[in-house]
Amino acid sequence: MIFLYIGLPLIVAAVLPLVGKVSKKVLPDVLANGVFLFLFAYAVTGARGLLAGGALHQTFAWFGEPLGIQIAVDGFSLFMLTVVALVSACVGLYSISYMEHYGAKANYYALLLMMVAGMNGLLLVTDLFQIYIFLEVAAVASYALVAFGREQAELEAAFKYLMLSVVASAAVMIAIALLYGLTGSLSFTGVAEGLRQLDAKAAGAIASALFLMGFGLKAALVPFHAWLPDAHPSAPAPISAILSGLLIKVSGVYAMTRIFFHVFGLTPALSDVLMWTGTVSIVVAALLALKQRDMKRMLAYSSISQVGYVVLGIGIGTPLGIAGGLFHLLNHAVAKSLLFLTSGSVQQATGTRNLDEMGGLAKRMPVTSTTSLIGSLSIAGVPPLGGFWSKLLIIMALVQSHRPVLAVIAVLASVLTLWYYLIMQRQAFFGKLNERWAAVKEAPFWMAASTIVLAVLCLVLGLLFSSVVSTWIQPAADVLAQGMGM
Amino acid sequence: MATLDIVLLSGLVLASAFAVLAKDLIKAAVALAVSSLLLGIVFFRMNAPFAGVFEISVVAGLITVLFILTIALTRTEGEVRESKTVLRVFPVFFVLFIAIDALVMKGLTAKIATLPAAAESGTFGDVLWKQRTFDLIGQLAVILSGVFAVLALFRKRDKDE
Amino acid sequence: MNPMMLLWTILVPAAAAALLALIPSRVKVVRELLAVAASAASLVLAIQLFGQKTLEWRPAWMGGGVDFELRLFPFSAFILLALAGFLLLIAVYSTAKMKDHPHVRIYYALVFLSAAMANGAVLSDNFVPLVFFWEGLLVTLYGLIAIGGKASHRTALKAFIISGFCDFCMMMGIGILWAKTGTLTISQISVHPTGLFAAAFVLMMIGAAGKAGVMPFHTWIPDAAIDAPVAFMALMPAAFEKLLGIYLLARLSLDVFKIEKGGAMSILMMTVGAITIVLAVMMALIQKDLKRLLSYHAVSQVGYMILGIGTGVAAGIAGGIFHMINHAMYKCGLFLSAGSVEHRMGTTEMKKLGGLAKAMPLTAAGFTVCALAISGVWPLNGFVSKEMVFHGALETGYTGFAVAAWLGAIFTFASFLKAGHSVFFGKPSEERPAVKVKESPIAIVVPILILALLCITFGVYNKLPLNGLIAPVLDGRVEAGAHLDFTSHALDLFNPVAGISLGCLLLAFLLHAYGWKKGGKKPYLASEPIHKAPGLKTIYGWAEKRVFDIYEQGVVFLRGLSWVLFHGIDRPIDFVYEKAVTSVGGAMGGLLSKAHNGRYGNYLAWCLGGLLILAAVISALV
Repeated sequence: MIFLYIGLPLIVAAVLPLVGKVSKKVLPDVLANGVFLFLFAYAVTGARGLLAGGALHQTFAWFGEPLGIQIAVDGFSLFMLTVVALVSACVGLYSISYMEHYGAKANYYALLLMMVAGMNGLLLVTDLFQIYIFLEVAAVASYALVAFGREQAELEAAFKYLMLSVVASAAVMIAIALLYGLTGSLSFTGVAEGLRQLDAKAAGAIASALFLMGFGLKAALVPFHAWLPDAHPSAPAPISAILSGLLIKVSGVYAMTRIFFHVFGLTPALSDVLMWTGTVSIVVAALLALKQRDMKRMLAYSSISQVGYVVLGIGIGTPLGIAGGLFHLLNHAVAKSLLFLTSGSVQQATGTRNLDEMGGLAKRMPVTSTTSLIGSLSIAGVPPLGGFWSKLLIIMALVQSHRPVLAVIAVLASVLTLWYYLIMQRQAFFGKLNERWAAVKEAPFWMAASTIVLAVLCLVLGLLFSSVVSTWIQPAADVLAQGMGM
Repeated sequence: MATLDIVLLSGLVLASAFAVLAKDLIKAAVALAVSSLLLGIVFFRMNAPFAGVFEISVVAGLITVLFILTIALTRTEGEVRESKTVLRVFPVFFVLFIAIDALVMKGLTAKIATLPAAAESGTFGDVLWKQRTFDLIGQLAVILSGVFAVLALFRKRDKDE
Repeated sequence: MNPMMLLWTILVPAAAAALLALIPSRVKVVRELLAVAASAASLVLAIQLFGQKTLEWRPAWMGGGVDFELRLFPFSAFILLALAGFLLLIAVYSTAKMKDHPHVRIYYALVFLSAAMANGAVLSDNFVPLVFFWEGLLVTLYGLIAIGGKASHRTALKAFIISGFCDFCMMMGIGILWAKTGTLTISQISVHPTGLFAAAFVLMMIGAAGKAGVMPFHTWIPDAAIDAPVAFMALMPAAFEKLLGIYLLARLSLDVFKIEKGGAMSILMMTVGAITIVLAVMMALIQKDLKRLLSYHAVSQVGYMILGIGTGVAAGIAGGIFHMINHAMYKCGLFLSAGSVEHRMGTTEMKKLGGLAKAMPLTAAGFTVCALAISGVWPLNGFVSKEMVFHGALETGYTGFAVAAWLGAIFTFASFLKAGHSVFFGKPSEERPAVKVKESPIAIVVPILILALLCITFGVYNKLPLNGLIAPVLDGRVEAGAHLDFTSHALDLFNPVAGISLGCLLLAFLLHAYGWKKGGKKPYLASEPIHKAPGLKTIYGWAEKRVFDIYEQGVVFLRGLSWVLFHGIDRPIDFVYEKAVTSVGGAMGGLLSKAHNGRYGNYLAWCLGGLLILAAVISALV
């Protein structure tokens, strides 16, 4: 069943362009959203039972002959699968209304499904080379989606994104080749075993530096972040949401974490490097966000900063830190997708992303402004929303592992975060209504509905934080914490 | 290592660096194609014909065509003026990188012990089908994504657009 | 009783807040009824819990020391009761005063959300939920100020930044405490404030005292007095924040840290208290707007509480805590009367008022009682608690602190003489708005009168609250063996300390009378300097003139001091908060923006550089 996470979107994506010939809008809408909703429902209800007896490994057979398909699910990948399913379901619903005027909806959904299939594949594989391949599946689909509007700025951004992303893939490839050359194996366990036998310190260090650069580029950690503020704002809003909410986390943070925890084993050195890279990202990107006048660009910089928190939390390596990092990943996925979606609603209603030109939109777009406010407050770490708890957990984990300097930086940076979000909220939604927008209307039904779902989630994640942490985050964190002991 | 290999590899590095530095994007794309062509030849010489074929057909061929089309789509009139220092940043880092790379790798490669690779039996096709089936699915997906990308980007404008 | 009851104290106001936020603006009656009913329900709940005395609820939560622990004990029960009482009064008051406010829906929701957060903060026995509720209050504070008016957004942001900084300090203190003791359960921690613990205490003290509005974290309060709704001022800075801040401070210095008489931390707290008393009251003296004057007093009075708690002496601590509840009552009453005046006159500028006592006798009576109480006039509650603080301060042996407290008392009374005189008594000002003045609606007057009555009760029958509310708090917490017996302190008129206090009041009265006469019998000028000092008249006037000179010098000096304080301390603090932080952030952001020039080669160069650094670092570390 779990193979459906790769197979189903792939198959539906393959037939969608053909379906698009028959029905331009309705069938693609129904099919794609059906897939997303099904995957989400399955992740929430059925999939947990699979893990009752520990991590699950599956091999497939072709007419009785075993095939070389091996997938594995553990708490960590299941958690990530759920996050992917959740955000893609909301983004899918939002696209029903938003993508109307772009045309070629069937094609759009096909690409979106490919991207989701790529991400799901990445979460289920058991070997390094497969990580690379599914990284590329998701990446190729995302290049096209960034450029989907075919405007000048979008094509340029997609091109720049492609160029830097290729560098990332190359770095990952070199690292994989290096490890294969060293150990003669590609599977996680094989490479981990080989590395332990060899005790190859220097070569291991170079491979991990290359992985850090490659996945750092994918995750947009400073100094590998430069492509993101161009690529994410240029894309159509649902794509921005899925890129910022999911792709950078799955192809960056997840892949990096999986390899560092389960292949290399998190050494104190790696832990320090991860934490400092995370911290630098948090601070630099937060300062950059402060200066932005473009709503989506501000959100893009904020993504870099928040991914920094996730990496910082995971990098601590203590159970509390990992739990905090993963919980922040979830909170950020929900809240940042929400914010990008609301920014899309604003852009569609007003035709601008410039904060200076907005103002007073709360009066005309109450749903959009309220949901955007909730998302902002959640990311900024304001109680009782989810972001508060995850940041608190990360900061507590820092204190617990005796890193007061990092803890203080993390707290101060969250003040910065709140600051630029307050600026954004005030410029866009509060204050006097700009007369230009006197006739602006609230977002259409599906767009409003999906933002409401996400906003409610922000609230629920905060209010029910202890049960969310114990049922979803803790199993994932346990897997990682155990991985360190390997 | 034969002189030819050294020439090929240096050419590869130079062409890649030019691809990054070239102001004209068309020239950059061509330089990239040249570098992947050289890489393909290196693959052939190192007894990896399949990799070589893929490299030359996919990267040097298909991707270059895509690039040039994209660039043609994105061409604009105005030239952006940039300061000289900005232009110097990359070469400085690049030279630094190559220098450190040369110094470190030389010492490193001599020392590293490696484990033998697991014996891979059978023909190329056998390996691909029996052991790396999943890769095949992935690669299919990559190609599918690429096709969709082309379809999406070169779509005709819809009536209702 | 079921320990889940504790959760209800948080859930009831929170649910009310949610309902109030959802009820459409048009259905006024339902909203007002709901607000009063919900606050009455919380009060009933609080009374029941107060009878219970102790109750603990420690459900399984996140584990690892992070638990949702709620604990009811005499002190928290007392604060819970007070919070519920003030909530009810404000809810009743708001039905009349906030009726036509444009953001009334958000206002009610935020008030009840604040109440929920405050109850949670009081009951928390674990630092994590405490921080959660504390931060929640920060948000509602921001919201409540921001709904005020045009300029209120700036003030809200200022309050947010200042309070946020205090909270940040508190979190760092909690961090140190946690790292050193390994537990987050408040009632399990008991350490001596030395070394790192001293730093932790100072940081947490900033958090607690900052919430209460101590100098130099006070500057937003006077600004908010102008910008924010007056009911907010009565609720948050006057009542809730004082109760919470001082509650936490008292718990810190009684339970968590062992503050000893004469120790460094004790001296620090007393110094902060004394400075706050004197400087803030001097600022209050020269204010021309009633609400602003009250807000500076809200700062100044915190000084007494901190001074009292900082003494480490039973009488002082009891006095500090007693002063907290007293202050909440009369300051709330004063703000509400100012609101009542504003309701009818549309202004609270003293220059434009005068002689309102005839038209608004009930408001005037309430104001007078509360003003006398804050000034420490016998036999009102302010007198009793201030006496206890004086006694405590003297008992530590540092007479200077007692002197500062007395100095504060002089100017407090002088400024309230000026305020009462120019608003309610004396002749109506020529600039008084030409409206027909009548008494405010009953919903406004009743809360004021209740508070005034409470001030009298707590003063005359002071044994009642002292033995019923304060003694259980201190039981067994102050130095061993010092059994508390409030009869031992001669809290009546006939002892030297009270004599000095009464002397202070007399002095204040003379100052006021003199200033009033010099100000052309315009009471609002009573504290103003007398620029047009009369010249020499006769050689016989030498003595008089010299007396006058001293007075004038004093006033000029005061004015100068006030000016220096305002421009030397008040404004620079403001500057740091508003300008320095912003521009540093801006400059850093600008520098980084320059590096993002959109050039591909440049970005690639960073990646290569990053790779080199990472490889070097990792190789060096393994």
